[in-house]
Amino acid sequence: MHENQNETPVDLTEDAGTGADENRIVIAVVRSGGFAGLRRRWRVEPAIDAELSWIALVDRCPWDERIESEQPGADRYVWSIHARLRDEQRQQVVPDALLQGAWRELVDAVRDADNGS
Amino acid sequence: MVGTMSTGEAAYTSIQGIVPGYLLARLARSDRYERAARAAQQTLVAGRPVFHSTLELSIGADGSLIAEVSAAPTRSIFDAQNTEKLPGVLVRSEDDEPVADAAVNEAFDGLGATFQLLLDAFTRDSLDGAGAPLHATVHYGDRYDNAFWDGSRMVFGDGDGEVFTSFTRSVSVIGHELGHGVIQSSSGLVYQGQSGALNESIADVLGVLTEQHLLDQTADQASWLVGEGIFTEAVQGRALRSMLEPGTAYDDDELGKDPQPAHMRDYVQTDEDNGGVHINSGIPNRAFALAARAVGGHAWEGAGLAWYRALTGGLEPTAGFSEFAEATLTAAADIGVTVETAVREAWVAVGVIEDAREPERDPR
Repeated sequence: MHENQNETPVDLTEDAGTGADENRIVIAVVRSGGFAGLRRRWRVEPAIDAELSWIALVDRCPWDERIESEQPGADRYVWSIHARLRDEQRQQVVPDALLQGAWRELVDAVRDADNGS
Repeated sequence: MVGTMSTGEAAYTSIQGIVPGYLLARLARSDRYERAARAAQQTLVAGRPVFHSTLELSIGADGSLIAEVSAAPTRSIFDAQNTEKLPGVLVRSEDDEPVADAAVNEAFDGLGATFQLLLDAFTRDSLDGAGAPLHATVHYGDRYDNAFWDGSRMVFGDGDGEVFTSFTRSVSVIGHELGHGVIQSSSGLVYQGQSGALNESIADVLGVLTEQHLLDQTADQASWLVGEGIFTEAVQGRALRSMLEPGTAYDDDELGKDPQPAHMRDYVQTDEDNGGVHINSGIPNRAFALAARAVGGHAWEGAGLAWYRALTGGLEPTAGFSEFAEATLTAAADIGVTVETAVREAWVAVGVIEDAREPERDPR
């Protein structure tokens, strides 16, 4: 059996930095699933003058809310969202059917800011 | 569709087809087929049934009118008009003629092709075996890169135009999504981990069987590709998945390489994608393709029948690959020794079961 290189929703070390990089703000989104099963990833590390607006986008999301991970049907996307705001880390997995409101705004903003990989 | 077809019996002239309302009305006015016209008139007077049926009218050698009724699909296509609101606006129903929108007609025809596979190959009347109506929504979202089953309908995005074209272009995609409806109403395989990968694989099986049945292909003629034609020309890939050679469907600079394993030793452990349901499905996918090709002929008659009977024969919702393999072997044994042998060798080839016939090693 193989361990997928992308087992965790987002590689925290890669995306959020460590040690001297603890002042960084990084937001990363991974989309998995879908009919094609293609994994797509978007990441943004905003410039200092844009940080406040990104922090506001992150703060609007209900990170502590319990989300039912199961969704009816099949072939829906699953969104893994991770935010590092300096020394604070937040992470949530959101089914495609529940990607609405603040979650949708955050994901759309990250996708718009990054071409994806 | 109404046409003249040969039944193989010289004494019969047959008019056969799924008869939508507008054709039934036309038939009712027919001078050429007087008896059929009367039957159609009576049908129109009696009113349409809730579920549609195939009406087969034959004229026997003695001039008597023979009418046979069998199952037929009840399809409805909706247009989400590039929003994410379901179901959208109804744009084509069973009795309607084709519309100008190709995606609507492709979805309509794909639903019909899947219905015919289930009926012809497995004597199954629609997704639930009880004539359930078939609903689809097209133009979901803005350049939405996906097609999915939402638990009661299939939903198609238009694709972004860069990586994906319209998802309705592939019959195997449509058959796959409706396959999830069959699975949901039979074993209800849990969409997580190995049972989820099995769920995905069986949906792929029903998807490619729909395409092969539509094209009247034998196992050796089939491409065994899922989603052929879905990628734009810019993508370096033939399709989304290859059932015969998992891991070879695409190898693109941007999208990376097809990650599907073809053997249990390469099973991928991951938290993403509900535990890799679209990745590890490659293993049972290859088992099915190998078995079908070994049996030969139409895949739905040998391996396909074994897979279908295993799915609908009391399979547990949490079944993994090995439980399903055993179920297919039991079903295959009832079909015949050729199918049973092919199915066993296929599961051994992908490492799901061990070859019981392998001679024990000499301990010396």
